[in-house]
Amino acid sequence: MVRSLFLFDMTFWLYLAALTLYIAYLFARRPVMTLAPAGHSADNFDERDGAWATQLGQIATLITVFGWLVNTGALFTRAFERMQTSGTFAPWSNQFEAMAYVSWAIILGYVLLELRYKIKAIGAFVVGIGFIAMGAASLLPYRYQTAEPLVPALNSYWIYIHVSITLTSYAAFAMAGGLGVMYLFKERAERRGSTSRFYAAFPDLETIDELGYKAITIGFPLLAFGIILGAMWANYAWGGYWSWDPKETWSLIVWLIYGAYIHARMTRGWEGHRAAIYAVFGFLMVIFCFWGVNFLLSGLHAYA
Amino acid sequence: MNGQPDAIPEQKSPRSSTPGLGWEEFSRELVEFFASIKLAMFLFLFIAITATIGTVIQQNERPESYIQEYGESTYRWFLRLGFIDVYHTWWFTSLLGLLCVNSLTCFYKRFPGVWRSMKQDRVSVSLDFVKGMKQQAEVSIANSKEVVAQQLAQHFIEKGYKVLAKNDPGEVTLYATKGVLGRVGAHMAHLSATVIIIGGLIGTYYGFQEFGVCLEGQTYHIPRGNFDLKVDKFWIDYHENGSVKSYNSTLTVIDGGQSVVTKTISVNDPLVYKGIWFYQSSYGDSWDQIEVARINIKDKETDKVLKTVDLEWQKEQAVPELDLKLSITDFVADFAFNSTEKKVFSKTVEHANPAIRLAVNERSTVQSTPWIFYQFPDLFDIKESKYQFELVGYKPKKFTGLQIAKNPGINIVWTGSTMIVVGITLSSFIFHRRIWMKILPAPEGVTVYIGGTTHKSQIDFQREFRKLTEKLQSLSASPSRISGA
Ligand code: HEM
Repeated sequence: MVRSLFLFDMTFWLYLAALTLYIAYLFARRPVMTLAPAGHSADNFDERDGAWATQLGQIATLITVFGWLVNTGALFTRAFERMQTSGTFAPWSNQFEAMAYVSWAIILGYVLLELRYKIKAIGAFVVGIGFIAMGAASLLPYRYQTAEPLVPALNSYWIYIHVSITLTSYAAFAMAGGLGVMYLFKERAERRGSTSRFYAAFPDLETIDELGYKAITIGFPLLAFGIILGAMWANYAWGGYWSWDPKETWSLIVWLIYGAYIHARMTRGWEGHRAAIYAVFGFLMVIFCFWGVNFLLSGLHAYA
Repeated sequence: MNGQPDAIPEQKSPRSSTPGLGWEEFSRELVEFFASIKLAMFLFLFIAITATIGTVIQQNERPESYIQEYGESTYRWFLRLGFIDVYHTWWFTSLLGLLCVNSLTCFYKRFPGVWRSMKQDRVSVSLDFVKGMKQQAEVSIANSKEVVAQQLAQHFIEKGYKVLAKNDPGEVTLYATKGVLGRVGAHMAHLSATVIIIGGLIGTYYGFQEFGVCLEGQTYHIPRGNFDLKVDKFWIDYHENGSVKSYNSTLTVIDGGQSVVTKTISVNDPLVYKGIWFYQSSYGDSWDQIEVARINIKDKETDKVLKTVDLEWQKEQAVPELDLKLSITDFVADFAFNSTEKKVFSKTVEHANPAIRLAVNERSTVQSTPWIFYQFPDLFDIKESKYQFELVGYKPKKFTGLQIAKNPGINIVWTGSTMIVVGITLSSFIFHRRIWMKILPAPEGVTVYIGGTTHKSQIDFQREFRKLTEKLQSLSASPSRISGA
């Protein structure tokens, strides 16, 4: 128990360091608004950065990857500890572990995104959310952080797949929420005609918008799959696949909210500003579904 | 989708100028309304909002608890609006029904277009159409148009595109497309909503869900399956730290007088027989039976405990030295007396006021069956007896709570679920790309005009398109000019 808690703690500090570095990266001196040649906006962000920014950006990425590895190690260690105490290993069996897993998934998503699109400015927002998730987990009282054996209802192989998939979808929505906030920042700067070099590292609005949409189109099927696996589990454990219990109802609500978003994208006027606000709103609903339901509403799922 | 040209143009057939309300006009408007994305968004959000009600207000509680929490007039409003059972109100069900109608109409209206574009697609387009696309480029290549067309087609085929070509006098048009499956996926998702709801309805009308409280050693008749179920054993496993690990019942199905199946069920591991599922759902202390009780036998005069005996349920036990025969005939967990029927019963299932009925046979002359209360030891007194009996403890019999359910619609629900997951996944990860190329003769070789569109994932498409134009450049032997979008 002590070992995994130490690693979770270390993850927390590493994510804090990474976040600080990404913010410093944004503030670092770089040529003001050198616009990339048309058509090359998405790829060549490295070229826009000055010397300092480049180095800060590289260190930030390294620390993030290292933090993620420690996070991975922490989850594995926890799985091992669970195996010893109760014979199941899912390292997402209580609120604390679930949050640590979500932050793991967010950071993984971010690292993949950075590898693919090479846009480091997003780190300040998305690593930020990963850090907050990890931080909120560490703030939980100690009794929530330990690996208590599972209650009989949860002691099943369904927990491995149902919970991990649902949590991964939350991570995708967190990513979209972070990108939404970023969009709104950048949009405000543009409207004010700000030439601050802070925003020079940001990708253009259209790219942020598209990436946010993409994150949601990844989260949406994952959540659908997660909910359906939950229904299958319920059918296996409780004798009914749908009982309108607060947790499952809320995950359906979240899914419907994103369903509306997916369809809204196809009608005019639902990109950009509105979509960004909606993504932030959707993420707040995810947070409620993840936290609020466990702590404020009662039901079969309230196992935390 | 982002206002780009679409292979499925909105079917705006010319309207008659007379503003009459003909049937055709009306039905077209109706289809238009039910197929609209606006309605879909409204329904999604409205269902989401109303679904929150049932998570905030506890559902299907007893009236008193609502009145206590919200007051009487609010409770009356709850009743009127159905807030105490939101998910089964007529209006909530109608919303779900409307969503089905909505998605089916959408399928009806749009799927034929998708189907057509799978089978055949628009190859010939005008040059302006190509130039007007969001992603477009223009490359000069010093080669003959047949060779260029050949090479381009080859390139796209290697990338997994379907390529169609049209050779007109003076120009070649190529059309390359990929990922229409993404669209098919979306429509699969649209059908799934109805499939799931049909499965749900079948389950509601032809299935059942019951809760059974069963005791070890008893046999119960299951009328819906016309067989018997015997509960052989019930027990609880504990973790090292004392918390419950699992609870288990060994069940035997007796069909036609013969034992057919025996299985130990536990939480997360039900027994299925003839489509009826038996779930280990809960357990608890029985309220009308116990296993053993401990009785103190006291001398009335000295108030001294003469002997302590443990009596098993409904088994007579002799205490020779006191010339007694004792047995427990009844037990109630929460004593209550029905004065009209003159019957003792348990008011609740809680062990709030436990009492046993003791059959006393003293020296074969004094016979009595007093109720003895755990909490009120002095309440009953057998006048002729020398002794006072006290109930000092007991061990209740555990019952096993079985959920018994049959759901003939379940496989339809799972079919719909698979459709929805596969459908959404296809539509999320496969995006429909269409690229047109016009190869026109130029002073030295040919000029290729290329334009493409996708309904989503613009940045990925932008990258793909850039790679493509780079590839095109490398095809050209001579220096070329490029203009990107
Ligand atoms: C009932 C649950 C529904 C689900 C799960 C669902 C899911 C989806 C998905 C995943 C897509 C693909 C989105 C994209 O390409 O980004 C889609 C497309 C679409 N949806 Fe739905 N949808 C549902 C209901 C509806 C309803 C009620 C309508 C009614 C108008 C509708 C209209 C559309 C249209 C027009 C498209 C575009 C189809 C195309 O690309 O050819 N959907 N839907």
